[in-house]
Parts: sequence; C-alpha cells; structure tokens
Amino acid sequence: MSGVTRSQLRIPQSSDYKEVSNLSNQAQASPALLGVGILGAGPATQAIHLPSLARLGDLLEVRHIMDVDPAVAETVAGRVGANFSTSMDELLADPAVDIVAICSPHQFHAAQVIASCRAGKKAVLCEKPFAMNGEEAARISAVSAETGVPIIVGAMHTFDPGWLAAEEAWEDLPEHVHTIRSSIVLPPNPRFEDFATEIVGRVPVPGRDSTDPDVIKAMLTGGVMGLAIHDLPLVRRFTPDFEAVEVLHAEIVRPFGYVISLRAGNVSIELRAAMNATWEPSWVFEAIGDDAALKIDFTPSYVHAGSATARIRRAGRTTVLGPFGHNGYEGEWRKLAELASGTGQAPSAETLIHDLEFALSIAEAAARRVDTGRTAGTPADEEINA
Amino acid sequence: MTTQLSVYADPKAEAAGAVSAVVASLPLSFGPAAGPSAEVPDVVAVAGHAGWAGRAADAIRSGASGVVVAAPVAEDTAELIGVADSAGAAVVLDQQWAGNAALAESSDNVRRVIAGALEDAVMLDSVAVAAPGTDPAHLLTEQLAVLVGCGMELRNLRVVQRNGNGYTVAGVLAGGTPVALQGILTSALPATASVTVLTSTGRADVVLPDPAAAWPAEVRVVTAEGATTLPTLYESSHRTSWARAHATVTSGKPANDLVRFAAVTSLLNQLTS
Ligand SMILES: NC(=O)c1ccc[n+]([C@@H]2O[C@H](COP(=O)([O-])OP(=O)(O)OC[C@H]3O[C@@H](n4cnc5c(N)ncnc54)[C@H](O)[C@@H]3O)[C@@H](O)[C@H]2O)c1
Repeated sequence: MSGVTRSQLRIPQSSDYKEVSNLSNQAQASPALLGVGILGAGPATQAIHLPSLARLGDLLEVRHIMDVDPAVAETVAGRVGANFSTSMDELLADPAVDIVAICSPHQFHAAQVIASCRAGKKAVLCEKPFAMNGEEAARISAVSAETGVPIIVGAMHTFDPGWLAAEEAWEDLPEHVHTIRSSIVLPPNPRFEDFATEIVGRVPVPGRDSTDPDVIKAMLTGGVMGLAIHDLPLVRRFTPDFEAVEVLHAEIVRPFGYVISLRAGNVSIELRAAMNATWEPSWVFEAIGDDAALKIDFTPSYVHAGSATARIRRAGRTTVLGPFGHNGYEGEWRKLAELASGTGQAPSAETLIHDLEFALSIAEAAARRVDTGRTAGTPADEEINA
Repeated sequence: MTTQLSVYADPKAEAAGAVSAVVASLPLSFGPAAGPSAEVPDVVAVAGHAGWAGRAADAIRSGASGVVVAAPVAEDTAELIGVADSAGAAVVLDQQWAGNAALAESSDNVRRVIAGALEDAVMLDSVAVAAPGTDPAHLLTEQLAVLVGCGMELRNLRVVQRNGNGYTVAGVLAGGTPVALQGILTSALPATASVTVLTSTGRADVVLPDPAAAWPAEVRVVTAEGATTLPTLYESSHRTSWARAHATVTSGKPANDLVRFAAVTSLLNQLTS
C-alpha cells in the first residue's frame, strides 16, 4: 500500500453521492430504468431490498431513500448513490421516483401506501403487513380503486419462483387439500441480516418478561403478523372457507415462536415456528390431500439463496420444481418493474385485503386465547420479524 | 446353536403382521407350526384388533411360551400381564413404528441423542401419517407409542381437533415445553412417523419408516458443532419384533412391552377423560 496516498484512499462522503445522484437522476437518468424510492431504511431495506435491487440494475435504480433517522437515511442512500430525505412528502414529490417501497415499521404502512397512491406513482410495494386493521385495509382498497396504482405486498413467498412453478403444476390439488402445515425454524434475524449486508442503525430488541400475558399476546400477534404472514397467503390458496377460520390452539415457543392450530371449513392448518440459535434454518410449507401432496422448502429470510424447491407427490410419482436462481424478494422487484412499465397483472386489492383479514383474524383470535387463559406461556426475550 | 421355535399365525394375525414373510427371514430362529391343534406352537402371532389381550392370554393358557401381537389397539392388559407372569411367557408387541430397531432398548446412541435434545427442548413436533381409512384412534396409539419409546414424558395432552382426515393433539413436556402431535390420513405420503425436538441451538429428528419394507429409520441431530446422522438398520419393525420375541423366549428374560404399552394407554385415557 506504500504507493497509495491518503487522498487516493479518501472514502467518498455522502455529499459526493448526492451530487452524483443529482446528476444521474436529473440529467442522465436512463429512461429505460425505473426509479425506486424507499420509505424506511432499516434492516429490511438494507439486507433485503438493496441487495435484490443490486441484482436488477438493468431494470431498476434506487433514486431516493427516506428515513426518519437522518443518519440512517444518509448512509443508506450513500451506499447506492441515491438522494435522501427525512420526509415522506419530499420523496413522493421527487419525479425521479416511479416505484415506492414502504419499509417503515408496521404502524406507518397504511398511511404511506395511501399517500404513495395519491402521489400518482407507477407501483407500490408495501412490506408486510399491508395494514394493522380492517379499517386501514378498507381505506387502502378505496384509494387503490380510485387511483388505479398497482400495489403488491412483500409477502415474499407468493413471489418465489418455486411457489409459482408449483401453482402452475398442481392442477386440482387445492380442491382436495385437507391438511396444511407451515413449519419454520430460523436463527435470530441479525445473524442472517449480517450475511446479506452490513447493517447500520440496528435497534437492539429490549428484553421482555414473557410470563406477562400482554407480552405473550404481543408475541402471538407478532409471530402471526411478522412470520406466519409469509405463508398465510399460501394457506389461503387451499382454504376456500378462509373467512370461517377458527383458532383452536395458540401457544408461544421459547425464545420466540408459536404453535397454532387452525381450522377453516374442512381444512386443518398447523402453524409451527421457532426462532432458536440454530445454524440450520428450515422453512417448509405442506398442503396434503388424500391422493396428492405439495411440499415446498423455502430458503431462509434475508439471504439471497435462490428460490424454494417444490415437490408434488401423486400416486407414487414426485414432480420436483426448482430451485431457481432467485427468491421471492427479487421476484417482488421483477413484478414491480413489470407493473410500473404497464405490463403484468397486479394482485387484486381484494386478494391483498383478504390475505390481510385472514392474518389479522388469526392474530387476534390467537391473542384472545391468552385472555381466556387457554394459552400456555413460556419465557421469551426476542422479537420476531422475518 | 439357535433354538428354532415353532410359530402359528391365524389369517388375521398373518395379515396384520406379515408373519410368514418375517418368519421366513429368520429361518434358524423360527419355523412354521403345523396348525393350532397339531402341536402347541412355541410362539403364537395375535392380531391386534379389539380383544387381542384376551386372545393373547388364551394362547399362553394353551401353552405358548410367547405371543407376538401385531398392531395392538389400546385396551386393558391387566389380566394378560397376570397370565403371562404366572406362565413365564413372553408378550412382544409388534408396533409399526415403536418396534423399529432405532428405538430398541439397545439403541443407546439414539436414546442418548433424544435424551440430550429433550434436556434443551423448545418444542416437540411429531407427525404420523397413515393411509385413508385408518382409524385415527389407532394411529394416535401408534404415535404415542413412538413418543413413549423415545423416553418422552408427555403431560396435559388434549385433543385440539379430530376429523376424518386426522387429528391434532397438544400437550407439554415435563418442563412446560410445547408438544404438538398431528396425525394425517393420506395415501400421497409414505406411512411414517416423525419426531422433531427443536432445541435452543439445533434439533433432533427421528423418522420411522413404514414396516411394509425394510426401509431404515432416519435419526439426525443438529447441534452447534454440526449435524450427525446416526447409523440405523435396514430392518422392518416386524422383523425386529420377531427377533426380539425369539431372544425373549429363549433367554427367559421378560420383555418390557406391556409396561410401555400401559404408559401409552394411560396417556390415551387422560386424553379422552
Ligand atoms: N419481507 C421480509 O422478509 C421482511 C423482513 C424484515 C422486515 N420486513 C418488514 O419491513 C418493515 C421494516 O422492517 P425493519 O426490520 O427494517 O424494521 P425497523 O423498525 O428495524 O426499521 C425501520 C426503519 O424505518 C424507520 N422509520 C421509523 N418510522 C418511520 C416513518 N414514519 N417513515 C419512514 N421510516 C421510518 C426507522 O428509523 C428504521 O430505520 C417492517 O414492516 C417489517 O415487517 C419484511
């Protein structure tokens, strides 16, 4: 290194990027590329979306990053040469932004989706969950109908090429499924976030007394709305009577996780999750009928480890689909690029709202079981949010 | 020199336990008896449908030194225990999964691995699969036999749901760790029973095969140090049970089967009461 001077090694400052990005955005933005703006630049943005977008540089360009924490906004924007701000309005007013991704904490999703639609953007990605209650969902639905802006929800498994291939191949399986299982074993989030990127601004999760019924309730709703939510849209494909879903059993797993038993019409649904300190994650979705069964092995959250592998078994014959080279995160962005350029079909607002209502009714009913004393509690100290 | 024992199986026992094929695979240990009346067979195969305990007791009263019961349903065995004890006869239960060599009392490594995982368990998840038409109550009996055979102490079991396609049962382990059992009726999947113990840093999995063929069990453990697959045998649980019956009858050492089975029945009684 002796020949290299200090100035040659100068680390670029974010102000440099700002100039660069202003140039690229306003003067040289490639018309072929779609501009992306992101609201909320926490671990999900850093570990999931920016690496996915970095793989899709021929379609999409990150042009604006907003976070209420100015330091986070600035550093994360600096990584991709984008503008940054601390105000949603500023990002939505940026004409270089065609697609808005909402990656803020749950409680801001609905208002930010609505504002993005009203700002006349070309497409919106809302990180899961779509909203926190039915009333918010109804407002989103109305705005989506009024503005016609396509919205997708970041329930990544629905965009996984392994799932999509299974959907094309399963024929009449959904009519015959009587049993569904979603079994998730994941290490704590930070470990996998760190495999995907280098995180700034991580907020440590406070320890909590998980013998407290309120904490148990929060763990159950958090488990359903943060983790099970990736599989619930899949579950719903096999449960025509989803509106009749009943929670028959709900219990937390230590340090974080759940055992939840549901029934929807004739379909039994078992949800299992544990976030332990394992190095070996596993995420399996199964839909089983008398004569045919689907099993999907998903790759874990955060890391970009390709698609799921789906297996359809029927009369002694197993069809294997995948794995494909990209996962549902990248699938979401490919879909957004299609939608923003006017091709592709967005999921109907009704589908997204039914997905949300299904998840909410399960989360609420699971938490209600704590009040009725029918849920066993075990100690816990970690949040869940894959 | 192996002592050859004569075996008699009536047609129902033959169907329930694939007796002639199994006995044929142990030709030095067993040979067919001419019939129930021609001579007193050394070992009588008994089908496990309702009333098996009485049929087994009758066979012992008629002079058999051992009975092998194929797929016994839950029922009271108090009288049979008395009859077998006073005659010094062996009662071996041929259970489709619990009888697998991986869970034999001699499988120290498997027992150690499961016991180790149980000490640090955060969840126990078990799934038993059987063909449509199987009686779910019997499936649950076979599944509980596996868990008892794994040395698990299950508490507060209750039926979460039960229908024509299977059941879900919830409970806890001694320390309060959640237990989730599921039975699924389908012909799309092999008739296996799996037991998964998730621990704070890994897991232990036992998958017990359908005894229709000599598929080996799978036993795998994940700890912070790595994953280990334990050695298992290409031997069906039927053959393992008959080999055990031979050893029990010829050694005169009592089998433990009825004691374990009583533990299963008592779990089932708690569940339904
Ligand atoms: N799809 C997935 O696999 C996946 C994984 C992780 C998180 N998520 C979702 O992504 C979202 C963010 O997750 P995270 O782990 O990054 O959360 P986080 O709470 O750690 O980070 C969110 C970021 O948003 C910022 N913020 C707070 N209020 C804001 C506001 N009003 N507007 C804009 N930004 C604001 C925070 O400063 C923080 O930097 C959550 O909704 C979560 O459910 C999805």
